[in-house]
Amino acid sequence: MNAPVANRPSAIGALSALFAREIRVELRTKSLLTSMGLFALLCIVIVGLGVRGISSNETYHRFVLAMLWVCTMFAAVVGLNRAAVSDQRKQFFSALMILPHDPALVYFVRLASTLVFLLATQAIMIVVAVPLLKLDFFDQPLMLAVVPLADLGILAPGVLLSSGTSRVRGGEALLTIALLPVTVPVFLGATGVTDALQAGLGARGALPYVLLLGICAAMFTAMGLLLYGRLNEG
Amino acid sequence: MASASKSSHAWLITLILAVLGLIGAQAVLYMSYLYTPVQITPGTLWVGEPDGGSPINLYESYRIFFIHLPSAYATALCCLLCLVGGVLWLLTKQDKWEALIVSASEVGLVTGAMVLLTGTLWADYAWGSGRIGSGWNWEPRLTTMLILWLAFAALLVLRQSMDTPRQRSVMTAVYGILLGPLYPLVSKAIEIGQTSHPRSFSDLLSAPEIATTKHIASVGVTLAFMALVALRFQTNRIGQQIQQERAA
Repeated sequence: MNAPVANRPSAIGALSALFAREIRVELRTKSLLTSMGLFALLCIVIVGLGVRGISSNETYHRFVLAMLWVCTMFAAVVGLNRAAVSDQRKQFFSALMILPHDPALVYFVRLASTLVFLLATQAIMIVVAVPLLKLDFFDQPLMLAVVPLADLGILAPGVLLSSGTSRVRGGEALLTIALLPVTVPVFLGATGVTDALQAGLGARGALPYVLLLGICAAMFTAMGLLLYGRLNEG
Repeated sequence: MASASKSSHAWLITLILAVLGLIGAQAVLYMSYLYTPVQITPGTLWVGEPDGGSPINLYESYRIFFIHLPSAYATALCCLLCLVGGVLWLLTKQDKWEALIVSASEVGLVTGAMVLLTGTLWADYAWGSGRIGSGWNWEPRLTTMLILWLAFAALLVLRQSMDTPRQRSVMTAVYGILLGPLYPLVSKAIEIGQTSHPRSFSDLLSAPEIATTKHIASVGVTLAFMALVALRFQTNRIGQQIQQERAA
């Protein structure tokens, strides 16, 4: 008698199952959101303390918005490290890599779920920053619209690199060293958009920076999809 | 037998590159001090107008460009070699491509440092107060170049930290590919936002002696740096072979 052949799930089925698993685990443990959110809140408090003496309104806004992007980058690094190290410890990562699908699927799920968690962290950041730092994001919808694009630009190389750095001792520090130089174009684009909007140049003034963000997000995501399997094979 | 012949060919190419590079670098040194004009008359040779400021007369300081510019070209080439080496390693898994990435990033660290140092020294004179460090104003070209330099350093640190040779090779290749797009950013940085970096050297290059020296410097000094890449490549290959023999 032949052994029953296991049904191979379709790519979409596997993708949605993995994504649901990431969200379910996070909702149960709340480990990523807690660490990223707490880190972001601490950063806001420290930035608030640091900018007390700035009297020029324009300088204040430009500096605070740039600092919020710095907080976002480091919050992303905290989240990526936690997710990758936890997977390595539970050997979940090895299980994922033997799925009968292209490893790009695992990369895509990890990217999408981390993006959701980072956006949730930024929502908390905005809610806190608006009254505490006296910022108003809501009169500039473009400023909010570029947030997912910039996040994708930061997380796409981050998810790729964290799968490699999490396997070695001191990988947390390594990820920061490796990721920050690569994501500088994203930081340049994100602060460029906020600067242009703050200076009253409108969407036309911000367009080159939005394009830079779009190119970075597309390029890094494509690189991640292509290289993730190579980085983690064997 | 075939591998010994290949190896001797590689050494011959390295030697030719090194000789050409040395001759080129010597020629540039000679030309930049003895062939190009000794003193530039104020008002004749200018660089592009920095944002919001008056045009700058370069006087004698322009001679630093004969090192600065080729060093920047060599850094761009190192970045390209990292990208090409990364792609080829992932396609073929041959150790030589990993050696190429490592050599290019090591030399990229040197050439990048030269670009940053010569550029900052010139900027101290051009738009700073003359005091060392006064020219560093965080404008996009300077900053992106510093970031690229840090990325070369990050690649070497990341590589050293990997536990197994396999992890080391794959991480080197992946980071080499990620590093590739950074040079176009450095190149395009003068078009992003306010910049003090000269946008054009057309006035400077209108003097035929300066244009000739610049062209020879571009080839000669870049060749010298590429000879350095070739030399490091050969030594890295020897290092890889020793490691393989020890492991066997």
